[in-house]
Parts: sequence; structure tokens; C-alpha cells
Amino acid sequence: MKQILLILTFFVALTGCNQSDDGANGGKPLIGVSMLSMQNEFIVNISDEMEKKAEAVGAELIVVDAERSALKQIEQVESFIAQGVDAIIMNPCEVEASSPAVTKALAAGIPIINVNSATATKPTAFVGSDDVESGRIAMEYIAKRLSGKGNVIMIHGYMGQAAQIQREQGAREILKKYPGLKMLAHQTGEWDRAKSMSLMENWIQSYGNKIDAVFAQNDEMGMGAVKALEAAGMKNKVVVVSIDAIPDALQAVEKGTLDATVFQNAGQQGSQAIETALKIIDKQPYEKEVLIPFQLVTKENVAEFKQ
Amino acid sequence: MANPDLPFFHFMDNQTARPVLVVRALSKSFGGIKALDKVEFTLNGGEVHALMGENGAGKSTLMKILMGLETADSGEIMLAGKSWENHGVRDALDRGISMIHQELQVVPELTVAENIFLGRESTRWLPGWLDDRSIYQTTKQLLTDLGVALDAHTRMKYLSVAEMQMVEIAKAISYDARVIIMDEPTSALSEKEVAALFGIIKDLKAKGVSIIYISHKMEEIAQIADTVTVLRDGKYVGTKPAAELDQSTLITMMVGRTIDSLFPEATAEKGEVVLSVKNLSIPGKFQDISFDLRAGEVLGLAGLMGAGRTEVARAIFGLDPLAEGEIFIKSEKTTIRSPEDAIRHGIGYVSEDRKAWGCVPGMSVLHTMTLSSLRDHLRGGFIDAGSEKAAASRMATDLHIKTAGLSQQVLQLSGGNQQKVLIGKTLLAEPEIIIFDEPTRGIDIGAKHEIYKLIRQLTAQGIAVLLISSELPEVLGLCDRVLVLAEGRQTAVLSGQTISQEKIMNHAIQR
Amino acid sequence: MKQKITTTILQARNSYSTRVRSLGVFGILLAFVVICAALALTTPRFLTVGNLTIILTQVSINALLAFGVTFVIITGGIDLSLGSMVAVTGVAAALFAHPDTYPLVVPLGIALAAGVAMGGFNGLVITRSKVPPFIVTLGTMTIGRGLALILSKGRPVSNLSDTFNFIGGGQVFGIPFPIIILVVVFGLCTLLLKKTIWGRYMYAVGGNEQAARASGISVAKVKMIVYTLCGALAALAGIVLTSRITTGQPNAGQGFELDAIAAAIIGGTSTSGGSGTMTGTLIGALLIGVISNGLDLLNVTSYYQEVVMGVIIIGAVVLDGLNRKG
Repeated sequence: MKQILLILTFFVALTGCNQSDDGANGGKPLIGVSMLSMQNEFIVNISDEMEKKAEAVGAELIVVDAERSALKQIEQVESFIAQGVDAIIMNPCEVEASSPAVTKALAAGIPIINVNSATATKPTAFVGSDDVESGRIAMEYIAKRLSGKGNVIMIHGYMGQAAQIQREQGAREILKKYPGLKMLAHQTGEWDRAKSMSLMENWIQSYGNKIDAVFAQNDEMGMGAVKALEAAGMKNKVVVVSIDAIPDALQAVEKGTLDATVFQNAGQQGSQAIETALKIIDKQPYEKEVLIPFQLVTKENVAEFKQ
Repeated sequence: MANPDLPFFHFMDNQTARPVLVVRALSKSFGGIKALDKVEFTLNGGEVHALMGENGAGKSTLMKILMGLETADSGEIMLAGKSWENHGVRDALDRGISMIHQELQVVPELTVAENIFLGRESTRWLPGWLDDRSIYQTTKQLLTDLGVALDAHTRMKYLSVAEMQMVEIAKAISYDARVIIMDEPTSALSEKEVAALFGIIKDLKAKGVSIIYISHKMEEIAQIADTVTVLRDGKYVGTKPAAELDQSTLITMMVGRTIDSLFPEATAEKGEVVLSVKNLSIPGKFQDISFDLRAGEVLGLAGLMGAGRTEVARAIFGLDPLAEGEIFIKSEKTTIRSPEDAIRHGIGYVSEDRKAWGCVPGMSVLHTMTLSSLRDHLRGGFIDAGSEKAAASRMATDLHIKTAGLSQQVLQLSGGNQQKVLIGKTLLAEPEIIIFDEPTRGIDIGAKHEIYKLIRQLTAQGIAVLLISSELPEVLGLCDRVLVLAEGRQTAVLSGQTISQEKIMNHAIQR
Repeated sequence: MKQKITTTILQARNSYSTRVRSLGVFGILLAFVVICAALALTTPRFLTVGNLTIILTQVSINALLAFGVTFVIITGGIDLSLGSMVAVTGVAAALFAHPDTYPLVVPLGIALAAGVAMGGFNGLVITRSKVPPFIVTLGTMTIGRGLALILSKGRPVSNLSDTFNFIGGGQVFGIPFPIIILVVVFGLCTLLLKKTIWGRYMYAVGGNEQAARASGISVAKVKMIVYTLCGALAALAGIVLTSRITTGQPNAGQGFELDAIAAAIIGGTSTSGGSGTMTGTLIGALLIGVISNGLDLLNVTSYYQEVVMGVIIIGAVVLDGLNRKG
């Protein structure tokens, strides 16, 4: 089923056509969904949860993959508008570049909900979490573990993306609070496990035992850093924290190799987005900003988060 | 266009007897090999001066130095009585020296006029094209002066080789050339086109332009040249008025020894039929070709260009798929789908186009020679370098290939030696039938003679030869029988005493 | 003095062609040594056994891909589907590498089969349809990415067996296993290229396809071999990568093809075909690895790293062009 859906979304994205669903959905609300990238596990989780929720409440979804291209995303939203969907849910590729999609939807009188991350233009509603908060939570944990004193390394995501900017901002806020914490080095691992692993290997060479803690802006990179530290026999001396709480990371937290991750509730984001969309379609009162809180996951509470 | 500062202008009027260009004791070496060794050359105004010599004699190096493509190691060039140091092609062109290369250098997508003025826009300080109207007008004038009926707006790709050559000549004249170098200008021209070219050369001569004419063709030299200078192995042999030279003297000067008979006597016994083809056809190329070829026999394939000779050879060798017909090798029906099949069945093919179908750029003599027979040198799945080298070096000695060593790149050899390497490659695959397609095209007389001798030797060993040649003397001198093609159809098979130039031509243009 | 020795050696070879070729590798080797020396002087940590081991391990994946694409480029082709093949084969291996499911040969065999199939598909389409390799492999690049996502359902495939993880993370006599794979594969590729008829045929096909055909070489067979081999090596790289990061990632290997092609080109492989060596490619891959390691050690931002890498690629090609001329 998933495969078929993937292929279907692929074709919708390819053709960007405006096939009209006249009557086929029998009065069910039709919602167009444009996701940042279906190659990212976290995003796929949000999208899965949306589909589950939509099925439960009887809404029709058209899910397309923007493949990290804001241009593509705008075109997808345009074709949603042309199809006359009842609402649009967008998981923006970029803060600025995806904004025209919001403007166009609003101009066409179609409600648009941003999920997971924000655009410069204000949409009808926003469902997601405040990424700055996740950076704060992660760095606060490091500060606690090091008792406010030590050398920290930070591995960035793709430079300039909203998540990267905000997670860095949160982390730096905490660093400022603890003058004993020193930023030893920071570099981008491009959200990628293999890249961050190489990066960590090289840092181990240059800084060796000086490294006390690593903050990776997502779990993929955190796992890469853990691998490199394990290979160098240094894992027990270095605290590693990352964000997202993907299954792999949860497993690592359980095993104790990854010290902590920050749970961003993909399921909640997905289902709340659908709920908000339906409220708007049904002209019921709704919240303009639904913020799903982050939660710190450590060995103590990891069991709650494992499915 | 004309620049009065140019030195030639002092020679414009009736200065035909005075030398325009003098080369004194010019030397040039390439990595220890002397390409030119104290060469002398004097070119008078308004003369056609033939520069002759075998390939590798140093003609092209000398021309490259004159054109500024190479610099001499020592010696002097005097231009209009003044010593001249060449600063590159631009300098040569500015001083009125132009060259028409054997391989024409044209941009097919541009028009005649655009080709003629190519590269001269860019030298201007202001960006932008030359005024189109002016270049088309000038071109029209140039073509009219030359007596060539060509439209300046035609794209080069629609022109024949001869027409392109005319454009190149017009281009040379547009540079106000006083010296035009022509490198094998007739190699791709028909007889009629050659006559037209010679007409133009005579006109140019009358206008005081000097021509350096490089050619291998004896008849042309007798017809067009005033003076002949011969080089051999990079050394100056001599300069003589063309009228005083007969063919054998000239050959002796070039080769350095007397060649008594260009075509050696046939001695081979004819054996059984080794190749028999029946009703071969490829629509649009040739129809209904049938012949037998015996061991030790040389069968000529004659005909005009485009008659389908090469196409028949390519089909037999498996390069093009046959539409119809059967091939029998030693009476056994054989299907040949690729050159791989052909070689496995003992057929070898020496292509007419060495560059396109023979040589691999960057590949050494050694590796080129063993390319078709590499499997013979396998030991335990790997190439046995010793055995490979031994075979190639034996072949190089047998064929008298002149190289700096087996690891020299094939493309750096002279045409004749390239051809010998490619023949060596074919022979190392131990064929019983060899197709030679224009084996002596563009190679000098000494190498030609050697290839003729080789063909005789091969037939004496019982190898059957299919020979395609546009040079009728070659066909007459070597072939036991001649199959004549006209427009893709076989019009005659001549043998023994009935082979003559007239008969071949009659059948070749038969309707 | 050094120059003198080199020229004597070169003269001893007594040939223009080998001179040009060895100069090509010599030039890049010189650049490599200079850069290494510079890094050794600026960062004391650079020239340590530990760091050099890490560089070799990091380089191994790109080098495996670069070896494969060197064969392809020598025949005058190109393979843009390398990165996707890494993803497909990596995911395929991971799916069968969960603990206590199949013996190790199963994931390895399946990944290699997938690589061979994809490479073979490239070769088949290229030889049968006469569509340029650039376009065909561009197509397979996208197809492969899709397949990797389908196979993995868009999620990383983790929880792999320890035996499988040994390939990318284990050590033999203190040497990381990927380095051993790298050395063995380098040796085999060099032998194939220099000592077998197929290697010779690759040069011939890339240098002049018509002449190769007229010499009785089956051009289609040579191309099939080359693309299939490239697929197999991509599979090997996919296995090493998956094992190294202990997950089969459907989005792994993006842009790997460009790094591999860069390594080959830096190493003196001519993009127009007909020339190139495995040694050159290895040095090219090492150069890329050393630079990215060195710049990390120097804590240079990745922005500058990309600029430096681009400059080196262009520099290498310019150097190559100069060598060819002179």
C-alpha cells in the first residue's frame, strides 16, 4: 500500500496536473499535503500520522513530495489550488522561498496550514514545535551532565535551514548562560550519518580527550558521532545528545550509547495538523498556533517513547 | 585591407625573379630526433615551387615553422630580404604567408563568408561583429576574382571538398597572401576539380603570388611546378627546375636509391578458392556482388569513388550488416556479424581511413599492433608482456617500421609507418584473406614500394588479397584479376591481358 | 638533483608516451605530497598513524566508486548512477543483515547481485540503444533512488548483525577492514586494467571506438563489462558504507558519483576516454580525503572546503591539459 502511495504521489508531483475528483470522494473534505522530503524518516512519520488520522475522520488526502525544492513546493500548492482542494497542509522547504505558496493559497481563499516548520508569510494556522526550544533542552542537558564546565562540539544540519538556525540559536542561548562551557568546534554534518561520522573521526584526531560533549542537531548525526567515539574507545567519556528521537536513536539511548535525544512528536504534529485543517474547513473555532512540546528522552524514560 | 607597411609591397611590380622567402640552414629537433637539419629553401616571386620528399622528410616541419606553429632551433628565415623571426600564426598571416591544410580547417555550421573572416573579429578592440554587409561584399568580390561560382551565404557543410578548398584559397587571398602553402591539395579532388584548381594556381601566379606546393603525385608536379626542392630525412637534397627532372631522377632524389621497378613481379601460385561471395547486397550501397578469391591471388576491386568498393569490403569484414547474399570461406558457408567473427575466420582488413578506423590516439605502436591478436599472448588469464613484445618487435623488423621504439605513440609516426603498423596488426592475427582498402593513400613512394613488395610476399605465402585502389597503375601493377564496380553493381571481371586502364574506366562509367 | 633523477628514469623508459603518462601521475603525486607536507606542518595531529588510518578508512568508499568509474571513463563513458547504486545495494544488504536471520553471504550476495544488475542494465541500455551514457545513467540514478526508497519504505534500515557491521567497522591486525578491502580491490583493478585483454580493450574502445571494432574487439562486450563492474564496485561501496554507519540509508550516497568522478579526473583520467590509471585515481581519492580531513583538523568551515575542492579539480584538469600539450 505504501509503495503504491509513494508511486502515486510521485506521479502527482511529476505531472502536477489538475485532475478534478468530481464526486469520487463523495463530499469528503479534500486536503492537499506537500511535504519537505519523503526521504527523511521524521517527515515520513508526520505524513504517516496524517494519513492515519485522515482515514479515521474520513478525509481525502493528496500527499506530494517537494524533494527539498521550494520551487517544486510552490508548483505543488498551485496545482492544489487549481484542483480546488478544501485545505492545504504544507511542510515548508524553506522559510523565505516557500512563502509565495502561502500567499497564493490565501489569495485563492484556501486555508493553508504549516506543519513542523515556519514560513515568513503567516499561514492560516501553524502546527509544530519551536525548534529553538529543542536546542535549549539538548544543551541544558549537556550543561547539567558536565556540571556547567567543559568543552562542547556542535554538529550542524544543512547551514541556513530553519531547523539548523533555530536549534543552533537555542543551544547558544544556554551556552551563554554557562560561562564554563566552551564551544571547541562546530561544523556541518549535513544531517547525514556518514558525514558526521567522518567529521567526528577527524575531530577526535585534533582534539582527542579535550572533547567533553557533543551536540548533534539531529539523531542521524548523533548516531554518526557515537559510532566514531565508540571506535576510538572514547564513548564513555563523552556525552552525546541529539534531537528527533528516531527509533534508531531511542534504541541507542536504551543501550546507553547515546546519552539523550529530544523527542519531537511527529505523530502529534501530523494528527493536530489534520484536526486543525478540518476545524477550519468546518468553520469551527481553531487555534492559530498549535505548539507541540518537546520532551527530553534519557535512559530513565526511554521506554515511554518506544513503540 | 592592404597594409602599405608590409614588406611585400616593395615587390608587387614585376619582381618575379627576386626571392620572396629564403630559408637558410634551418634546423629543428624533437627530443633528440632531427626533423630538419640545415635545410635550405628559396622561393621566388610568382613561382610554383614543389616541395617533395617522403613522409618524415621534414616537409611539414618546415611548413609549420614558416607558419609559426613551431620555432626553429637554429637557422634563419629571410622575408623580402630582411631577417624575420616568426612570432606565431598571426605574424605569418600578417606578413602574407597562408597555408591551406590537407585536412581543411572549416567550421561547417558557418557560412562561406563567416569562415573566410573567422577569427578576425576578435582582434578588434571594440567588442562586436564585423559589419556583416562588408564581409559578404568582400567575399563576393574575392570569389568573383577567383572565378568561383559560390554563394557567400552558403553554409560550409553543404560544400564539396573541392569547393571548401576554393574557400580556403579565397581566405588566404583575403589575408593579402603573397605566399600560399598548399599541402596535398588534390588528395580528395576529382580530375575536373583538379583542373579547376590548377587554373586558379596559374591565375595566382600571374598576379605575382608564390605557391609552395606539397604533393606526392608525380604527374601533378610535371604539370604545375616551376621548381622542385627535395628533402630527405630532414636534410636538403637539392633544388632543380621542374623541366629538367624526369620521374626516375626525382624518385632517386627522394628515396636516396634507385627503385628499378615499382611493382615487383608476381610469382605466387594460385591455390584453391578461399573466399567465395554470392549475390551480396545492401540496398542503396551495392547489389548482387559475386566473386571467388583464390589463395595467392590478388583480386582488384576497381571503380569510381562511391561505386561501392569500400562498402563491399566493409560488409565482408562484418562492419556493416548484409541485407542479402552468402559468404563461403573455404567452401563453407559462414555468417559474419562483426569484425570479431571475420578475424576468427581468417579475414583481415586494412582500412582506407587510418585515423578513423585504425589508430587509437595515445596508444603505443606495441599495443596497436597486438590489438587484434591479444588472445594469442595470454598466460594464465593475463597478458604475457614478453611474448606480446616479441611478436610486435618481430613484425616491426619484418615490415621495416621506423619508430623511436615500440612504446612510441602510433599517431606520432609518419603516414607510411602508421600504415605499416596497421598492416602489422592485421598480419599478427594470422589471416588467410586480407582486404587492403587504398593501402597507399597519402603515403610516400618509398613506403608504397615496400607495401607492394609486401603484398607480393603475402601472396607467395598463399594469402589471398582483395585490393581496393583508386590508383589505376596500382591496380594494373598488382592484380591478377580486377572486378569493376559501377554504381554498386558489378560490371566486369577482367583478367590477365585484358586488364587495361581504358577497359577498367569503360566498365567503371558504364551505364 | 631530484629532477635529474626523475628525468634519467624517464629517459630510461625511452618513450614519449610513457613519459607523458607518468608525468601526469607524477604531477598529481607531487601536488599530493606538497599538500600533505603543508598539512603536516600546520597541524601536528595530521601525520599520526591514527589520523592516517582514519583518512584511509574514510577514503575507501569513494575510492571503490572511483575505481569503478575510472573503467567507465576510460572507455569514454560516464556513470552518474553510482550514488543511487550505493543506496540500493546498501539498503538491500541491510534488509538481509538483521541479527540471527541469514548468514553473512546472503546480504553480501544480494547487494552484489543488485549492483551487478543495475550496472548491467546501464550497459545493456547503452550498448543496445546508443543513448549517451550520460543520459542513461542519469535515468538509472533517479530509478535507483526510487528503488532504494521503495525497498526501505523511506526509512533507514537498522539493527544489523555484528558480523555484517564488522565489514565497515572491524579491524584485522589493527587495520580497519575497509582499508584491507581498498588495497585488495585496488590491486585487482590494476591487474585487470594493465594485465588483461579486457583492460587493453577498454583503452582501445575509449581511444577510438571504430578502430577497436575494426580490430575485432566486441565493443558492446567491453562496455557491458565496464558498467557491470562499476555496479559491482558500487555494491561493495554500498556494503562498506552500510556496515560503517550500521544502517541502510535510502538517501545515502547522494553526490557520491561526483566525488568519484572528481577523484578519477584529478588522478589524470581523461574525460574524453582512452587514458587513465588506477594509481592516479587512488591518489585522486586520497587527495580529496586528505584535504577534507586536513581542513577539518584546521577547523576550516565547510563552505571553504567546497571552494578548495573545486579549485583542485579544475587545477588537476588544467595540469592534465598542460601535460598533454608539452
